[in-house]
Amino acid sequence: MGNLLEHMGIEKDRLHFSWISSAEATKFVDVVTKVSEAVNALGPNHKLVKNAG
Amino acid sequence: MNTYTKKIRELASNLLKEGKVDLVIGFKEGTVPMATAPGIARTPEEADGFVWDANCSLNLTNYLTNKKEKIGIIAKGCDSRSIVNHIIENKISRDQLHIIGVPCTGMVDKNKIRGLFEDEITEFKEEGDVIRVKTGAKELTIDKQEYLRGNCRTCMHRNPVIHDDLVAEPVVEQKLADPFKDVKAIEAMDADEKWNHFENLLSGCIRCYACRNACPLCYCPTCFVDEANPQWVGKGQDPTDIRTFHFLRAYHCAGRCTDCGACEDACPMDIKVRDFTRKLVKDSFEIYGWEAGLTLDQRPPLDTFKPEDPDDFIK
Amino acid sequence: MKVIKIDKNDWTRGIDKSRETYQLFGPVTDKNQSVFKQLGKDAYPEMGRTDTIMSPKSVLFPQTEKILTASLDESVENHHIMQMPETDTTPRAVIGIRPYDAKAVQLVKLNFDTPEYRDTYWCDAYEATTFVGLAVNQPSASDFSTSMGSGPFAEEGLDLLLVDLDDHYLAKVLTPKGETFLDGAGFNGTADTDASLKTIQGMKEAAEAAITSLVPTDKLKEKSLLDLHGAPFWEDTAFSCINCGTCTFVCPTCWCFDIQDETKGKSTSRFRNWDSCMSPLFTMHGSGHNPRGEKTQRVRQRFMHKLKYFLDKYDQGSMCVGCGRCVEKCPVNIDIRSICNTMNSYEPQK
Repeated sequence: MGNLLEHMGIEKDRLHFSWISSAEATKFVDVVTKVSEAVNALGPNHKLVKNAG
Repeated sequence: MNTYTKKIRELASNLLKEGKVDLVIGFKEGTVPMATAPGIARTPEEADGFVWDANCSLNLTNYLTNKKEKIGIIAKGCDSRSIVNHIIENKISRDQLHIIGVPCTGMVDKNKIRGLFEDEITEFKEEGDVIRVKTGAKELTIDKQEYLRGNCRTCMHRNPVIHDDLVAEPVVEQKLADPFKDVKAIEAMDADEKWNHFENLLSGCIRCYACRNACPLCYCPTCFVDEANPQWVGKGQDPTDIRTFHFLRAYHCAGRCTDCGACEDACPMDIKVRDFTRKLVKDSFEIYGWEAGLTLDQRPPLDTFKPEDPDDFIK
Repeated sequence: MKVIKIDKNDWTRGIDKSRETYQLFGPVTDKNQSVFKQLGKDAYPEMGRTDTIMSPKSVLFPQTEKILTASLDESVENHHIMQMPETDTTPRAVIGIRPYDAKAVQLVKLNFDTPEYRDTYWCDAYEATTFVGLAVNQPSASDFSTSMGSGPFAEEGLDLLLVDLDDHYLAKVLTPKGETFLDGAGFNGTADTDASLKTIQGMKEAAEAAITSLVPTDKLKEKSLLDLHGAPFWEDTAFSCINCGTCTFVCPTCWCFDIQDETKGKSTSRFRNWDSCMSPLFTMHGSGHNPRGEKTQRVRQRFMHKLKYFLDKYDQGSMCVGCGRCVEKCPVNIDIRSICNTMNSYEPQK
C-alpha cells in the first residue's frame, strides 16, 4: 500500500508503519517525534485532498 | 480460416456433442473491424461461430464467476492464470471447467493501429505474423509483434498454465532483459512528477467502470465505489475521487493481477490504467517472488502470513 | 432561406471575433482522441476530425453539475437552506456539432422541458446555446443515422448548418439564433442562394447514399411491448455485457442522473452526476429490493427504452440517433443495430 501510494506521487515520509506495544512508552514517543519531524519537513499536503464541498 | 479457429471450433463442438460440458465460452466475430464479441455455444452448431485472432483480448474468466454449470472455456496464457485465481478464490471449481488452452502470440493494441490512419479502419486481416489493415484511403501491412498491447510485450507466460486441451503446440516464451522497464521509468520520477503523471493519465476518465467490470478479479457483489453506507468515495468527476477509485481498485488486485490487460482494452478513453497495477505486479515479484495464477497449490501472498515475510517497512 | 459563404481564410478571424460574444465549444484532440470541449483562448475547433468519442451532451448536461448549495454556519442568514448556485447563462456556441448530435439534443429536450416540469439547469443552458452544425460529407461505417430519423445533412435542432467545400463553407441559416451568430462572427460573404442550395442538396444525397448501415425500424411501433419484454433473445443478448457504463456515457441521448450531497466544513452542495441503467445500483431501492437486479433485465431496459418505450410514449421515433458511438466503444461489441433488427423482426411463438 505504501509502495503504491509512493508510486503515484505521495511522498514516502507521509506514511509510517510501526509496531508498538502498550508497554513501550519511550518507543511510542520516539516514533511520534520522528513521524512529526518527517511530515513537518515535507510541509502541508495538497495531494488527495478534495476541495469541492 | 486460421488453424486456431478451426481447432477451437472442433474441440468446442466435440465437448458439446459428447455432453462433457453444458456450454462453451469463447469469442465470436464482431460486427465492426477489430472487434470480437464474447459469446456462448450450447450446441455443436453454435460452436461454429467461434473465432480466434489478435483481437480476442478480453479475459473470459470474467464470465465464470459463481457459475453453476459445467463450462468449456477458451483461455490464453494470462486468462488461464486468472482461472487459477478464480479456483483458488473459490469462485468456480476445477471440476466444473474444461479449459481449451490457446498458446498465444499476443493481442494487438487497437488504438495504436487506429493511430496509423486518419480515417476509420474497414478491414483487418491477420496472416501469421503479418496484419493487413485497410481504410477507405489506404492499406498497410504491419508486423504484428510491433503492434502488440503493452502487457503482451512484457508477457512471460504466453502458454496456458492450466488446460485440458491445447489448440496448438506451445509457443516459445519471451525472454526479456527487463520486464519492468515501464514501472522503473515511473519509479525514477520525483514525487511531484509521479503525481502529475497519474493526474494526466486519468484526466479523460469518465468513471464508466469498464476497467473494473472487464477485470476478472473485480467480482465483489458491491464495489467500494458503489457502497452507499458508508460512502467511501464521492461519485462525481472530482479528480480526487477519480484517483481514489483507480488507486484503491488497483490495490485490491495486489498479488492477484495477471496483467491480462482487459482493463485497458475495455477503456473507451484509452487510459493506461495498468500504470497502477504494473507496480503491484513488480512488487509482488520482487518482494515475495510471486507471480499470480501460476499454481493451484499456493495462496496469494497478501492473503497469507508467514513469519519470514519481509517487514522492513515497519519502523 | 439564406446561405452565407465563409472563406476558410476568414475562418479563424471569425471564430476569434465570435469569442467576444460566445463561449465556444468544439471538437479538439486530447491525448490522440477527439473530444468535445470548451475551447480555450487559443484553441480552434478541429473541423476535419472524425466523430468525437463523447457526444456534446455535456455542454448542456455536465457529467457532474452543482445544483444546490447551503451554508451550515448557523451565524449566517438562511443557513441550512438550499439555494441555487450562480449559473453561467451567457451565450455559448457549439461549433462543429454533428447533425445526429443536434437531433439528440431535441430528444433530450423532450425529457428536460415538459409542460409539467422544466429542468432549469438544462433549459437555461439550452436557451443560451447556438448550435453550429457541420454536415458529414463522409459518414463512418457505424453511422446509421438515416435509419433513425436523422442523417449526415439533417437540420433538426441546428441553428446553422455548415457544409465543407474544401476552401470554403456554405452556411445555411436555419434560425434567427444562427443569423445572430454569423453577424457576431462577422461572416457575411454572399452566396448565390439557389445554386448553393442545389450544391448542398447534391452533397446531401451523396452522403446519405454513402451510409451503408441500414437498420429496419418500421415494425417496432406495432410490436407488443409485453411480447418484446418477454422475448427469449435477451438472455443471449446480455450474456457478454459486463455492465459498464460506456454505452450510456457515450450516448448523446442518455439523460439519467443521480443526486449526491457532499459536505466540507460548513458548506454543503448537492450535485447531479450522470448515472447509468447498466449499473445494478441504478434501481436499488432503500428497502434492499432491486427490480433490475439481473444483468439481463438491465440490458433489456436500455434497448427497450431506446427503441420501444420512448417510441410508444412520445411517438417521435426512437431514442437513438444512429451515431454509432456505442457500437464503436462497447468493450464486448454489443451492437444496437443487431438488437434493433432482432426486435423489429421478432415474432412471438404462438
